[in-house]
Order: sequence, then structure tokens, then C-alpha cells
Amino acid sequence: MNRYYKFGVGASLLVAAIGYLMYAGLQQSSTYYFTLEEFLPRKSELGGQGVRVAGRVAEGSLWKQTSAKGTEMTFAIGDFKGPDEPIGETVPVAFTGIVPDMFAEGRDVIIEGRYVDGTLHAQQIMTSCPSKYEPKPGEAAPPGARASN
Amino acid sequence: MIELGPLAINLAFVLSAYAVVMSLVGAWRRRPDFVASAEHAVLAVWAAVLVAVAMLLHALVIHDFRLEYVAAYSSSTLPLYYTVAALWGGQKGSLLWWLLILSSMSAVVVLQNRHKNRDLMPYVMAVLMSVALFFSALLVFITPPFETLAVAAKEGRDLNPLLQNYWMTIHPPSLYLGFVGMTVPFAFAMAALASGKLGDVWIRTTRRWTLFAWFFLSLGNLFGALWAYEVLGWGGYWAWDPVENAAFMPWLTGTAFLHSVMIQEKKNMLKVWNMVLVILTFGLTIFGTFLTRSGVISSVHSFTQSGLGPFFLSFLGIILTIAIALLIWRLPLLRSENELDSLLSRESAFLFNNLILVGIAFAVFWGTVFPVISEWVRGVKITVGPPFFNRVNAPLGLVLLFLMGVGPIIAWRRATWQHLKKAFRWPVATGLLGGIGCFVFGAHDYWAVLAFSLIFFVLGTIVTEFARGMRARQLMVGESAPVALARLIGKNRRRYGGYIIHLGVVMIFVAIAGTALFRQEKQVTLNPGESFDIGGYTLRYNGLEERDTPHIAYLMANVGVFDGAKQIDVLKPEKRFYKKPEQPTTEVAIRSSFSTDLYLVLGSYDGETKMATILAYLNPLVGFLYWGGLVLAVGTFVVMWPAPVAAREPAYSAAPAAEEARS
Repeated sequence: MNRYYKFGVGASLLVAAIGYLMYAGLQQSSTYYFTLEEFLPRKSELGGQGVRVAGRVAEGSLWKQTSAKGTEMTFAIGDFKGPDEPIGETVPVAFTGIVPDMFAEGRDVIIEGRYVDGTLHAQQIMTSCPSKYEPKPGEAAPPGARASN
Repeated sequence: MIELGPLAINLAFVLSAYAVVMSLVGAWRRRPDFVASAEHAVLAVWAAVLVAVAMLLHALVIHDFRLEYVAAYSSSTLPLYYTVAALWGGQKGSLLWWLLILSSMSAVVVLQNRHKNRDLMPYVMAVLMSVALFFSALLVFITPPFETLAVAAKEGRDLNPLLQNYWMTIHPPSLYLGFVGMTVPFAFAMAALASGKLGDVWIRTTRRWTLFAWFFLSLGNLFGALWAYEVLGWGGYWAWDPVENAAFMPWLTGTAFLHSVMIQEKKNMLKVWNMVLVILTFGLTIFGTFLTRSGVISSVHSFTQSGLGPFFLSFLGIILTIAIALLIWRLPLLRSENELDSLLSRESAFLFNNLILVGIAFAVFWGTVFPVISEWVRGVKITVGPPFFNRVNAPLGLVLLFLMGVGPIIAWRRATWQHLKKAFRWPVATGLLGGIGCFVFGAHDYWAVLAFSLIFFVLGTIVTEFARGMRARQLMVGESAPVALARLIGKNRRRYGGYIIHLGVVMIFVAIAGTALFRQEKQVTLNPGESFDIGGYTLRYNGLEERDTPHIAYLMANVGVFDGAKQIDVLKPEKRFYKKPEQPTTEVAIRSSFSTDLYLVLGSYDGETKMATILAYLNPLVGFLYWGGLVLAVGTFVVMWPAPVAAREPAYSAAPAAEEARS
């Protein structure tokens, strides 16, 4: 029985180590994920925290300028609505960095960043494929989908 | 003629149902004629699916835009190469492709076992054809690939430009071969449980299949990584995206399985564990397919919801329930015939290797489904990013690397100090040298020194093993070194092929360590004529260039690469504007040398001022990803190559030391 005891101890230590690593990893890198609809009622509680918010870039809201710092832009995201429905409340977004290829007004995006003073400061913008593409079973990410600043 | 397509799929559906029923009834009533009929049905399913695939391929090649699929995934200007790849470029085509691979493998299994494994075969066919039934049902009722448009399209919408890349044409087929290939060992495992023939016949029969599937799964993952590296333009090759994880998890459990079956073969241990691993691996292939098609987990890859999710989940549920029920029913027959003797033994090294591989798979699984779990438990979706996966998996990966150096040379049963000292002298020495070398060459990072010590430790193990075997042959048979090496490998393909695979994996570890620890990146916005430095290079932005073709318009940044004052290269990272559908993409420019990749991305540009934002990355050692994959492939070929001659001749491989290690 002694050797099983030893092996058991070794295995438990290993499992405990994996558990600890996972716990620590979760503490470090978890981020809330909201759709805009879920985000709006909670936005006041989420000031300064890292969030991911999914929404649609509002038509006519985009402002863009290339300077020595890179591309600066601001826009607003609204809820996912059909083309004819009026867009509801929006949230302003500010971003400086490389704009993903697929980014445009009317596109669905996920913004990763912090919500400070009523503006979502994006660290990363992820764009979705235009709906006419089905994603591949293997993979099919939009180009520059992980562009970050 | 296009009507043949749907007809063939319907036929495949009916025939696979027939094969399931006939093989089960045949096994139950002991009717060899029923079983034979089921075997014929399996072959007929294969033929039918082949016809369906040929029809779809034909429709693609002749640009038959009456078909919704052809219109959605190809166009008349798409090069033939990618037109063929469009066969698996969309959901429907990829499911049909899956069915083709599954039915082909089933046919091969039937043909291989005409006179063998007669007790197992009915159940094997029942499992294989149940899976075929599921996929053909999807193709018949849910997503028919031969759906026609009410009005034929004038032109197709073309294949997604991102998929018009070399790696993307071979990545999905190899990933599918890997995914589907895991069905065969699963089918034999279930057959062993159902029939009660629980010896290692099922393991020996499926060893090659498992290797085959594992091989393609490995390559599929690597090709995907290389594709991401060359196409996505963010400087890396692996981002722990759910879709990547979906393909990685079965690889991990499959690797664990490949190792633990050796323990069952040698020591008749771990029988239940092996069953669990094969069930897990197959389950994870279906789960991975579910992940990528359901939209349950938000991923940059799988935005669109296809509605197939519930079907895959139900199928997975049914399969797992049956498999686990069978396993519990047969538990009394799966007793281990040997016991673990010592913590310091090869058995124990293998066990820990298994625990770690499964642990990594679990951590990856947990991180991937965490948004769903957190939503159930706390009502909010919480996502975890790459830092979670890296933090958990980097230490585990290093332990795994360590075990990869220990496992092959530590003694079975119980290792003594004498043995340990003798066996590990050289590997430990090379490991220390590697660590010191790493430190001397300027990498003063704790992780870097540890990683490279372990890498050299494993290299030491592999080289010592080869050297020992060669020396023994040279002494005993008097062969020259190259002949001794060739014969050594030839007569012990499994063992030395395995070491070659380990060498490939170590090389992949080198690439991962190099890019994770020493990567540099810089983002600059420049006017034409301005330059910047990265690593030892000076890069000068010379301006924008344009080029136009009927299919694509190009806009390139001309960047001169200087080493000191001397211009050594010109790189042209570009933006492409695909005309149909209108979509811009980013094409990176890479200058590869043995040690480092210089990787440039044209981030954005201003058409009037010609000001451009350029991202530059230095990715050290990333080339080892490619070379490691190649070595891994060579190793797998060595292992799988049939060895009729070696069976007749005595093998001289077993040097005294190796003999001691094995006994």
C-alpha cells in the first residue's frame, strides 16, 4: 500500500498544482463579457474595470484621423438591431491603434477595454465576419481581428 | 446530372441505418450472413458518399451557380486550386467532407478485417455507421449541400479571401482526418466493451489508426497555426481562441492515449484509464465540432450561429451515455493484472505524463467554456484570455518536457540509484550546458534558462539513446556508424520513430519558447523616407506602391531592410482589396532566417500624405515550428511503416544498458 500512498500523494500534489494555476490564472485574466443591452444598465458599476462589450457600430458616428501616433478614432456602438429599427442608446468608444480591416459602420464588433468617464477606451477591437460568410469549421477569423494597440 | 447528388446522400443515410441494424442484429442472433450484409452496406455507403462528393466537386468546377453552395463559396474568377478547396470551405461542404472521410475509413476497416476480429467487427461497424448516420442525417434534413437557388446566381460570392491561402487548403483536410480518424479506435474500444473481448486485441488493431489520426491532428493544428501566422497579421500563431482549443484538446488526450496504451501492452495495466481516454478523445472531437458550429462560445471565428449546435450536443450526450454505461458494465473485466511498483519507474513517468496531458486538456476546456459556466453560476459571462492559458500551461508544458526526457530511459518497475546515475549522466549534463549557454548568450530570464535546460535535457536523452543503440550494433555486428543507425531505426521502428517524434516535439517547444520569451514588437507611423530600428535591423519606409488585377487590387508599403548601412532586403507588406466580395485584407511580409523572422504588417495608411503605420515583429526561432512539424512527420512515418522483414530477423538494438532499462 505504501507505494500507492506515495503515488497518490504525487498525483494529488500535481492536481493541486494544476488547480492552483487555474485559480490564479482566472483571478488574473477574467473579463466580463456583455452585449450592449446587458452592459447599459450596469455601466455605472463597471467604471474602470476591464470589460468586453459586443455591439454594432452606429451609422454616422465614426471619426478617424491618422497621425504620427497611429490611427485615432472615435465611434459609438449600439444594440444589434435590424436595418430598419431605430438604434437605441449608444456608448461612445475611443481607440488608437491599428484598425481591423473589417471595421466599418454597421459592422458587429466586440470592444475590449475599460469604461472610464462615460467612454469605452478600447484596447482591442474584434470584428465579426460579414454575415454572408459562414465561419469555417476549422477557422476563419476576420483579418486583423486581433489588432490591438 | 446534379440530381444524383441528393440521391446519393439519401442513399448513404438509408444504407448507414441499415448497416447499424444489420450488424447489431447479426451480433445478437449470431448471424454471419447479416454481418456480411452490413459489411456490404458499409462499402455501399462509401460509394454513395463518393458520388455525392464528386457531384459537388463537379458543380464547383463547372461553376454551376444554380447551387446555393457553389454560389456562396466560389466564383468564376477563383483559381481552380481554391475552387477545389471550396469543397470544404463552407459548412455544408465540410460536413459532406467529414462523411467522406468517415465512410472511406469505415470501408478500409471492413476490408482490413474480413478475416480478422470477427467478434468485434459487428460492433465496430455499428459504431462507425451510427456516426455516419448522424452526419448523413444532418446533410439530408438540416443542411442539404445540394440546395438549389430559386433563380440561378449570375456569379458566385467567392470564397472568403482569408481562406485563399496555401495553408488553408491543407489545414481543414488534415484536421478532419485527425478528428474523424479518432472514431476508429473509439469504435474498436466500444466493440471490445460490448463483446467482452477486452484483451489488447482492440489496442493492437487500432494502434496504426490512432497514430494516423494523431499525426493528422498534429499537422492540422500546426497548419492552422502557420495559417494564422501568415494570414491574420497579429504577429503570432496561437491565441487560445475557442476554435484552436477545440482542435487542441483531442490532440492532448489522444497523445495521452498513445502513451498509456504502451503500458497496457507491456504491463496489462491502466485498462480502464485507456477506455476513458479513448472515450474522452472521441467525445472531444465531437465537442470541438459542436463548439465551432454552435455559436455558444463567442470566438472571433464562429460568430455566425448555424443552428447545428443542439444536434451535436444531443449526439455527444447519447454517445457519452452509452460509452460510459458500457464501461461501467464491464468494469469487473478490466482489472489491472499488475501493480505499480515504484514512484521512480517508467510506469510512473508515463502515468504522470498522462495526468499532465489530461490536466492541460482540462484547463483548456475550463478556460474555453468558462463564459458559459460563469453565466450559469453567476448570471454574467466572464471570458478568460490568453494570459490564463499561458499561465496555466507554460509550467505544465515544462513538466511535460521534463517527463519526455525521463520516460524513455528510466527503468521499468523500479529504478535504482545506480541506474539513474548511469542513464541520466549525459542528459543532465547537456541540460545544464543548455541552461548555462542560454544564460551566457544573454537570456537572463528565469523561464528561458529553465526552458532551454529542459529542452537540452530531452535532446540529451534522445541522442544518448541513439548513440547507445548504435554503439551496441557497431560492437556486435561491426557495422559502420551510418549503417548501424539506419538498421537500428529500421529494426525498432516503433521505439526510434518515437524518439524522432519526440525530437520534432522538442523543436516545436523551441519555437514556442523562442517566440514567447524573446519576441520584440514595434508600431510606428512614418512618412516616406523615414526609418526606425528593431533588433539589429534598420527599416526604411520608401512609400506606397499599387498594382491591379481582375481579382484583387494591391496596395503595398515598400520597406527597405538594412543591416547597418547595407540594404539586405525589400519587404512589401500589403493591403489587398478583393473585388468580389469587396473585402480588404492584410497581407504580411516575412523575412525568414534560421534564427529569426522579421514580420511586417501594413497597419493603415493615409492615401494623401502617404503616411503609413507599420507594425514590425521580431519572432525568434519561429521557424522551428515548421521544421519540428517536418521531423514529427518523418518520425510518424518511421513508426507506421510496416516492418515485415524486421519480424523475421533478430534485432540487435538492445544494448546491455538499454536491456537493463527495459527489463
